[in-house]
Amino acid sequence: MPRTPIGGRVGERLGAGTGSSLEFQDYRPYAPGDDLRHVDWAAYARSEMLAVRLYREEVSPRIDLVLDTSRSIRVTEQKLHAFASLSALLACACASTLADSRVLTGAGAAPEPIHAPEDIERHLAFERPLSALEEGYLPFRRRSLRLVMSDFLFPHDPDALIARLARDSASLSLIQLTLRGEAEPEVEGGRRLVDIEGKGELDLVIDGPAVHEYRERFSRLRLGLAVAARRTGARFAHVLCETPLREAARALAAAGILEPA
Amino acid sequence: MTFVTPIGLVALLTIPAIVAIHLFRRRFPRRAVAGLFLWQSVRQTPEGGGKITRLPITTSLILECLAALALALILAGARLSPASVSEHLVVLLDDSASMAAVNGAGESTRDRAVRRVIAEMDRLGAGARITIVQSGIRPSVLSGPAALDVEARPALHAWTPEAPGHSLALGLRLARELAGTNGKLMVVSDVPPAQRGEPGFVGGLWAAVGERLGNVGITAAQRTPAIAEGRGAMSLTLANHADASAKRQLVVSAGEKNILTRDLDVPPGTSSLSIPLPANIGTVRVALSDDALVRDNAVVLAEPRPHLVGVENHLREGRGRDALVRALGALSGVTQAAAGHLAFADAATLDKPASPGLWRVGFGRPPAAWVRNSEATDFIGPFVLEKRHPLLLGMTLGGVVWTGATPLAANTVRPLVSAGDQVLIGAIGGQSTDPAILVNLDLDRTNLIRAPDWPVLISNIVEIRRQNLPGPERWNYRVGEWVRVRLAADPKSALRVRSAGVERPLPAARQLEFLAPSPGGALQILDGEDVLLELGVNFLDESETDLRRQATADSGAFVGASGLRAESGPESDPLFWLLLTIAGLAILANWCLLPALARSERRAY
Repeated sequence: MPRTPIGGRVGERLGAGTGSSLEFQDYRPYAPGDDLRHVDWAAYARSEMLAVRLYREEVSPRIDLVLDTSRSIRVTEQKLHAFASLSALLACACASTLADSRVLTGAGAAPEPIHAPEDIERHLAFERPLSALEEGYLPFRRRSLRLVMSDFLFPHDPDALIARLARDSASLSLIQLTLRGEAEPEVEGGRRLVDIEGKGELDLVIDGPAVHEYRERFSRLRLGLAVAARRTGARFAHVLCETPLREAARALAAAGILEPA
Repeated sequence: MTFVTPIGLVALLTIPAIVAIHLFRRRFPRRAVAGLFLWQSVRQTPEGGGKITRLPITTSLILECLAALALALILAGARLSPASVSEHLVVLLDDSASMAAVNGAGESTRDRAVRRVIAEMDRLGAGARITIVQSGIRPSVLSGPAALDVEARPALHAWTPEAPGHSLALGLRLARELAGTNGKLMVVSDVPPAQRGEPGFVGGLWAAVGERLGNVGITAAQRTPAIAEGRGAMSLTLANHADASAKRQLVVSAGEKNILTRDLDVPPGTSSLSIPLPANIGTVRVALSDDALVRDNAVVLAEPRPHLVGVENHLREGRGRDALVRALGALSGVTQAAAGHLAFADAATLDKPASPGLWRVGFGRPPAAWVRNSEATDFIGPFVLEKRHPLLLGMTLGGVVWTGATPLAANTVRPLVSAGDQVLIGAIGGQSTDPAILVNLDLDRTNLIRAPDWPVLISNIVEIRRQNLPGPERWNYRVGEWVRVRLAADPKSALRVRSAGVERPLPAARQLEFLAPSPGGALQILDGEDVLLELGVNFLDESETDLRRQATADSGAFVGASGLRAESGPESDPLFWLLLTIAGLAILANWCLLPALARSERRAY
């Protein structure tokens, strides 16, 4: 997790903004109304300009980890395993920050605190017919760091979805986890495609043109998420299930979602 | 590649059927997906309709078509190499007893015949198919049809000719039918075709392997009882088919007891011999010393026990009664002392019940209930006789004045002799009651009793009754003759006939009828362990005794035949196993492996 939270209520952790901690942050010109105790008189003696010393703020971070535990995650054993591994990684990261971390799996499920990485295990049932993100309400906390992991394989408007997720948040990070076959399917002939969440069946000859068309649609979906995230200042990363966990962690670090200890 | 049953290629129609099924009903493998909506905008497979789409060449389609092709080829009998053709030899063996004749060197015609057939089988090779037909009144197949060489040889070696003289026509017909167009016909006999009654024989090889030999044999034998003298007699007919007289020893024995041994000088041609025999000695065996043909040197003669017909004469005194007494006196095997089998009485008593087993013959005016009117009529003819009835055998009624015939009511008797619409002689009863005969005749006025038809009529009546007495029709038979026996009572247990040590079951009935079995000898009819009757069955056939026609010569030749296609099982061809493996693997892969593979693919996704 980012070692320096960008916001949050007043607490024990250094925040990204200016506050009243003892750690010096910067100077700025004096403005009427500033606390005269923060005026750097030594600097005034050298430059005859009033300058005020600024100190870092101290915040108490809160993390809301949103996991998509719908049936679409268990479409294959590999996806299930990758999702569980990555969830465990995020739980470890949450636990290491000593922040107030909670896990959210849907509107109907009460948020559960994460005290230890093992706490995440009981949430990995993947029996929900809908993704938590498809539900209209999620019990986010104000100014919380929000970390969302899903395959985002459901019909949605990326701008509206991410705006909803980012509302009143300190920061928002999105992780899209898919199989390679979901991102880049291959030609495999006739198949009866059955939606694992019970949203219908479809007889389809998966030939070259069909694969090409599907890839274009998936790329648009992923690009839409990335662009919407960029607009709201959120971080976005697409991880393939086939990627080893170490490589996945690096990718998340590269995306700014995680920071090395 | 050849096809044994090309019609099986029709099964190839299953391939277009499979393609059609794939076209119209696609059974796509199921695959679970997380984001179906991403696929739904893709060109979708139409459920059906007019637009023709290209058939997806799936693994399942390929496997199903492959399995159908392999199975169709199996059904069509596909072979890598053309079916081999085997020679088919159909041999007709002359089963007449003369084939057993032995020459001075101890070699029989049968041995030469077997050697000749085996030589032909060896020439054709082990792959040849052999059919052996045995001639006779009822030809039979000894081996085959189209048996292998190893199957035919034991049957050939076990063959023993012993049948009486018979035509080869039926055997030839059977052999030709079995040979058809692809078999070679070979007839093995001891005489050339012309001497065997087949002068126009064509279409095969006739191998005569006989040898002219002199032979003496018993060609007829009869044993007659002489009840009055308390002794019997036996007459034999000997045939010497040689150019010079022959010395033979004749031995007559009864059981273990030797009755007579006599040296005979049998002149060429036929001679008769009569030998007196004591009464009640049972079955006797007559044997001549051995010569070329053993089969005709011995006879077994059962002791005949004549059927005495007990006759009761209840006719009233007069010329009719006297005539009946005279006629009965001229008949043998008739007694008036024994229990009555046959009663001659006044016709008026015929409507009264009779004692069981008593047949009645009524003369005179019928019972009143049977009479239409009381006006009796005389007739001088013409008489209409039921010629097929044994009662009227030999009767003509020529010159007979039939007197006192009373008109009968309809359906009272079954007419045997009639004049106009008047029944003169009629039969009564039959199935459930003892038969009776009505002779609608006034014996005192008719001239029938002085006509030749009178003793014939009385004799016929007695003989009909005699034939219906319990016991055999005759006591001695030739091989192949019908033996007819009437039992006195229902059998207590299973009936059997035993001859030459072989027992056969008989139907459980009071009237038995069967063919006198070969090779003959004493024949016993058994009811459980009880011997009911002992009869004699003998080979008496002069045509087989004469061995002077026998010769060794080949006639005709094998006609080119296509041979039999060797229809060995499909397992002999490697293509069958290859096709079976392909079909099995394709079906297995389609039903088991493909779904499993699809499941594992989905899991790996």
